[in-house]
Parts: sequence; C-alpha cells; structure tokens
Amino acid sequence: MAQVPVQTIHRDPQLFYWILLPITLVMILTGVLRHYATVLMATAPKKLDQKTHREQRSLLHGINVRGNFHVLSERSFNTRRDALTTDYESGAYLKDPERRGQAPPNPMTDPSSMDGMMGMMKNQMAMIVPNTLIMSWINAFFSGYVIMKLPFPLTIKFKSMLQAGVATKDMDPRWMSSISWYFLCIFGLQSVFNFLLGSDNAASQMAQQMGQMGPATGQLFGPGVDPDKQLLAEAENLAVIEHYSVLDNVEQRLLEGIRV
Amino acid sequence: MAPSLLHPPSQLSPSAALQLSQQAPVVLRDSPSTVSSSPLTALFSASETADLWIKYENLLLSCLRTGDERAAHQCLERLVARFGDDNERIMALKGLLKEADAQNNDELEVVLKEYDQILSENDTNIPITKRRIALLRSLGRVSDAVSSLVQFLKFSPTDAEAWSELADLYLAQGMYPQAIYAMEEVLVLAPNAWNIHARIGEMQYMAATAPGAGSPSYQKYLAEALKRFSRSIELCDDYLRGYYGLKLITTKLIRDLTKAAKQTDETEFTLPDPTTVERLNELATAKLSEIVRRSTAQEPGWRGYDKLEVAAAREILSEDASAASRTER
Repeated sequence: MAQVPVQTIHRDPQLFYWILLPITLVMILTGVLRHYATVLMATAPKKLDQKTHREQRSLLHGINVRGNFHVLSERSFNTRRDALTTDYESGAYLKDPERRGQAPPNPMTDPSSMDGMMGMMKNQMAMIVPNTLIMSWINAFFSGYVIMKLPFPLTIKFKSMLQAGVATKDMDPRWMSSISWYFLCIFGLQSVFNFLLGSDNAASQMAQQMGQMGPATGQLFGPGVDPDKQLLAEAENLAVIEHYSVLDNVEQRLLEGIRV
Repeated sequence: MAPSLLHPPSQLSPSAALQLSQQAPVVLRDSPSTVSSSPLTALFSASETADLWIKYENLLLSCLRTGDERAAHQCLERLVARFGDDNERIMALKGLLKEADAQNNDELEVVLKEYDQILSENDTNIPITKRRIALLRSLGRVSDAVSSLVQFLKFSPTDAEAWSELADLYLAQGMYPQAIYAMEEVLVLAPNAWNIHARIGEMQYMAATAPGAGSPSYQKYLAEALKRFSRSIELCDDYLRGYYGLKLITTKLIRDLTKAAKQTDETEFTLPDPTTVERLNELATAKLSEIVRRSTAQEPGWRGYDKLEVAAAREILSEDASAASRTER
C-alpha cells in the first residue's frame, strides 16, 4: 500500500514573528479597544417620569393580582378586581389619557425609542468598522501566505475554512492561511477576553450576535406597544378569573399533612 | 448562622449587628478603597465585584446601628468615590448618615427640606422618597408619612417594602382593615411568604379582639386568621409564630363556641366545625411543646428560634395546662 507522502513546505520561521503574532496581537487589542469604546459610548438608560412609571407598574400590579389571586379571600380579591378594572377601563393609569384610541406612534419616528436604535447602531458600528479595517489590512499585506501547520490531521472538508485565500487544490488541509487565522481569532478569542476584561465584556462579537437573536426582553413596554390596549386586555383577563383561594380547606390539608 | 456582610443587616439582633460593626476596621483595612477604572490596572489586578460594594453598604448600616459613625463615614466615602454623588442609592445613604448625625429635631427638619429639594428635581427617586417617609415617621408626623406613602404607592404599586411599611403604619394607628389590605398587597407580590401569611393572621386576630368589633366581623376575622395561620404552617413546618397563632385562636374558639352564630354570606370564610378546631388545637399544642422542648435543649437543627418567641410559647402552654387542670377539678 502506497503511503501518502507527507507534504513538507519550507516556511521562513520569520513568518511566525511577522504574521502570526501581529494578527493575534492586533485582534486582542482591537477587542480590548472595542470593549472600552462601548463602555464610553454607552448612554445611561433614560429616566422614566412618574407617569410612565405608574403606567408600567400598574400593569405589573394587575398581572401580579391575576397571577396570585389565590392568596386572597374572595371578598378582597373582588375589591381589587373592581378597582383595577375600573381604572384600567377609564384610562386613569395612562401616561397621556388624551391620546387614547389613537394609533401608537411609529417606533421609527418616535424620539423616545430613538435612543435604543442609536445604541444598537453604535454597537453595530463598533463591530463592523474595526472588522472591515483589519480584514482589508490582512488582505493587503498577508494574503496568500501559508503561515502554520496544525499539529493534528484534518479531513478535506476543512480546506475551505483553513485555506481561504490560498488556491492550491492538493495541499493538506493542515496548512493554514493567514486570513483563516484571522477568522479563527474572531471566534476563538472569547475566553481571552473573558480573562482580560471580565465575563460581561463588550469585546466579543459572538455575545452581541446572540443578544440580537435572543428573545427581545422588555417587549412588555417596548416602543410601538399601545399601553391602553395592554391595560384593557389585562382588565379582561382579570374579569374572567374564577376565584378560588388557597385558604379553602387549609385546615383539613394541614391535619392530614402534618403528623407530630 | 454567623452574620454575613453580604446580607442586609436589618433583621439582625443587636448583638449580631455589634459583631458586624466591630469588624469594620478589619474590613476597611483589607478591602480596596477604590477600584481603578484604568484599563492597564484592570488587566493586572483582580476585577471588581458587586460583593465589595454590597459589603460596604451593609457595613455602613450596621455601623450606624451601633453608633460607629466614623466607620460609617468611611464606608460612605468609598461608595461615593465609586458611584458618584448623584446615584440614587448613594443619595439615600448620605441622607441616612445626615439623619444619624442630626442632634435634634430642627436638624432633622433641615434634612427633610433637602429631601424635598431632591424630590422636586426628580420625582421618581425611589430611595429618597422612602427615606423621606421614614424620616417623617421618626419625626412623629405619622399622617404625613401615610399620605406620602399612599402617594408613592399610587405610582409604584409593586413595591412590597412600601406596602408593608404602610401596613405597619396603619396598624400602629389601629386601622385594622386598611392594614390588612396593605399586607394582602404584599402577599400578592410574594404569594408564598409564610411570615406574611402569619402576619395577616395576627392582624386579623387583633382586629377581631379589638374593642368595638361587632359579632359578625369578629367571626369573619377569626375564621380568616385561623386559615392564614394554617397556611403559614403549611408553607413552613415548625414555624413557631404560625403555631402560636393557631393555638391562640383555637383556644379562643373552643372557649366561646357556645355563642357561635350562623354565617349567611357565601363569599366569606366560615369557621371550621368544632371537632376540627379541637384537632387543630391539639396539633398546635403538641407542636409548640415539641418546639419549646427541643429548642430549650439546644438540639441541632432547632436553635434558630427567637428566645422571646419560645418564652411566649412556653407561657401560653402553661396557661393552657393550668386552665385544663382547673376544669378537671
């Protein structure tokens, strides 16, 4: 059986000092820089005025009453239900009652929701700009270099990942090109940033992408949601509750459950 | 359990608070006073944790309780250096220190004016709003405190701390229905808090036995109190206050069982039948005596009871025993 000859490519050892190290170093430093840039650019969350507070918290209050109605006796639950439903329906908790019934403001033009948009834009820019710069830097100076040989064998599928920018068909996938090293750095430096900057750093792009894909938190009061509709829906939810109480027959449960 | 600086010290006994505040010099010496925010040092030194600042805050509160105002000021300085003067929580702590430093009511009035000033600039500053209410209460202006608390709860009805403070204020004035209402709101926010269940039971017992309570409301209150105490025990076995309340109420019910009136309203809780009351009474007696016996003997796992509560339980048991021997004779 013919042994596949081991490919040997003679590389200048200086490649290591002049390509591998610089790329890694630049990637780390950009990550650190991006972290501090994000920290500096972050705007403090906007203060809510008292009326917004009231609107949001009274909705939460209703949700709490609906969720935990069973701790109340029927009479006190009915009192609360009546009070909350009346206030919800009359719009007493609304931030600006005269805007009732109008369409909710367009989130794209609403100035109050622009801050969130701006924050997102800033984060995106902080990610895109340095990445583009580094990418073009590597492309301009180091494209086509084979800079290292991985110490373990790989299948042919990895070729496109590890040898981007090097168009040789027969080369062993263990050989790695500079642009691929850059991509590996993008995805692999997460733990280095965790070590350097603490676990909640802004340097890693993976975390940011996850955050964008994850469930949108704060949707309850997000822009473009009509609080009036929410409150009315909550009033309806309260109205359909069939009351029972944990206090019903609690003595029997206790006598059965506890043995001395 | 040894007191820890990582938990808020409001529930600690005086001796535990003293123990904590005596650690102040050591903690102040060993913990870093500030954490540099420059990137270079952050790379090489340990990163800051939230625990550090929680420790300072709790140490400050303990030191204020035990009168160690110098250490409290040091804690505050470090907190201010970290979070700045205009952080809401820091503002409240600063106010607290000023209240502690005040010698007489006039100086407290000055602090109150400062609070009003802060609130006129930013009316959603919750820590300062709470400090102001607490200050009003300690100045003796209870009705002002109640009205500002009600005002506060209007725009923040999901604040359990404020509701329970309101309940306490109403209770101090003997306004039982209002106090019970406020306490029920706490329960809505924390449905499985057994101590709140028991607390409502206590309030209802007080309302039932208060002079002027009519017979129908008396029955209603006692029935619900009985259920509240039962629920608190159901949630937390061996809860002394729950058993104590159960014992108190069942004894009372057994004593005046004869004049029990029929209830008509369907929405109200009804008193359980006499045999159930008897059995609950027996259960409470047995459990209370077990708790008293074991915690007096300092058995492992039974040491956490408050001494005064155990003494009260022993008293009610001995009363019960003497009453029983009297009827036998």
